[in-house]
Amino acid sequence: MVRQPQSWAPSLFFPLLLAAVYSSQFSKAVNLPDFPYPDISFLDFILPACVIQGVLFGSTNSATDLAGDIENSFMDRLLSSPVSRPSILVARLASAFVYGLFQATILITIFYIFGADLAGGVPSALALMFITSLLSMAVGSFLIAVALRTGSQEVVNSLFPLIFVFIFISSAFFPVELMEGWYGAIAKWNPLTWVIDWTRGLTVEGFSWANFIKAVGIVTAIAVIGVTIAIGQLKKRLAAAS
Amino acid sequence: MRNPIEAKELSRTFGDLVAVDGINLSVAKGEVFGFLGPNGAGKSTAVRMLTTLLKPTSGQAWVAGHNVMSSAGAVRKRIGVALQDAAIDPLMTGNELLKLQSVLHGIPKRKARARCGELLETVGLTAAGDRRVGTYSGGMRRRLDLALSLVHEPEVLFLDEPTTGLDPTSRVALWDEVRKLNQEIGTTVFLTTQYLEEADQLAQRIAIIDEGRIVREGSPSVLKNQVGAPTLRVDVWEKDYNAAKATMAHFGEERPARKGRIAIGLNAGTRGITVVLKALEDKSIEVQHVELDEPSLDDVFADATGRRLEGGESA
Repeated sequence: MVRQPQSWAPSLFFPLLLAAVYSSQFSKAVNLPDFPYPDISFLDFILPACVIQGVLFGSTNSATDLAGDIENSFMDRLLSSPVSRPSILVARLASAFVYGLFQATILITIFYIFGADLAGGVPSALALMFITSLLSMAVGSFLIAVALRTGSQEVVNSLFPLIFVFIFISSAFFPVELMEGWYGAIAKWNPLTWVIDWTRGLTVEGFSWANFIKAVGIVTAIAVIGVTIAIGQLKKRLAAAS
Repeated sequence: MRNPIEAKELSRTFGDLVAVDGINLSVAKGEVFGFLGPNGAGKSTAVRMLTTLLKPTSGQAWVAGHNVMSSAGAVRKRIGVALQDAAIDPLMTGNELLKLQSVLHGIPKRKARARCGELLETVGLTAAGDRRVGTYSGGMRRRLDLALSLVHEPEVLFLDEPTTGLDPTSRVALWDEVRKLNQEIGTTVFLTTQYLEEADQLAQRIAIIDEGRIVREGSPSVLKNQVGAPTLRVDVWEKDYNAAKATMAHFGEERPARKGRIAIGLNAGTRGITVVLKALEDKSIEVQHVELDEPSLDDVFADATGRRLEGGESA
């Protein structure tokens, strides 16, 4: 990591930059009449979303690396060695999780320094870190499936804007209650909105097992779907070899 | 006991394309076997099947005594593979890559450390071991790749075009490494190449592959002799021309030559040259110039396929 700052620095820097921009641009949103949490700062409101956004930015890394391994035939090196086949996938998922954890820790620390207030204290912070890392792995698993399918870094990277879209059409930076029309309708059914709302419950209202379990539940569901697809793609790729 | 590499009617098709078309191979223990052919002949496809990276469409193969399909895992433990366009992370150092490869092969840490040092020494990279691979030259990378394929002391080593893209000096250096391995450790080596010289220099036995089929197989010298007798060309003084021609006719068929020069196909092969020269001397014919042309592997290739491997023009 020390040798390749360009692979992780942007995914830390951009979320922070965006957080700075949003908090100065939209901070008046808290004063809107229907804003669900009238008593908190906008920074507190967007904290979980920013952490999630940051982690999602990084979630492509693991898949991009895998696609790179296929492109430059490092994968062949692995496959011609007695390495266990499932470990190829497990390692990438684990790396997505650990990477998410690393990012979440740094982002939460920075937000804390800039005055964000976590209602639930340490338990909420830990819960937020766990949920976002799991989410990084869940979203990562879809991208890993794409990487296994195409073996192309370009294709994996081209999906990056899609993550952006998912984040923007969600409750990340604006409460769904204040959205209108098709935009609001999509946002309401965007699974990311649920994750964010439940996670936000943890950080704004304080830690509650109910919110934690709901958030972990939905992320696990996403992960199960993604990992299943990824396993299928890995099997397909391995089937070409003996 | 099977030979280190055996293939029976091994084939692989990609859609309509028959990349490898029923090849039979048998490589003996301790042999350096060369697989020679032009780009797209099916060399890499064959290697990928033998190294368990690609499933054969039909046929069977055994490597290091195990079937590549039914016991691929056992094969992987016993082979070293250095593929074309070696995947080497430029940000890692040579030493780190060797350690990583040791982990992939499940070699205990303490043993791995000693082994990595040894291997760096073997391939002459001790001084560069802690430098990032990104700073290595092409030749150094190939040598590192060779070291990587050796960490687990494989019984059979596969080298897919080990010197493609290397400058002549690095190429010769790599050949030396491969020879050393083969002679000192007795590793069986299977190498593919599109370079005639490489096959000639390195391989004790070669197979020429073209369009997925093996068209010739044997030791380079035997194959060359099969193509035809070497050509002997002799220049003599004009006064001796007819006498010389008559003398030389006993040793082989006349071949076309420029004016004033006599050329024959030496029936006795290369060794026949002294006999011819002795016969000329006995007749007091002074020889001004002698040339001996052995058929090259390219001639072998041309004889088998009707095309030239080098230069690209047809024979």
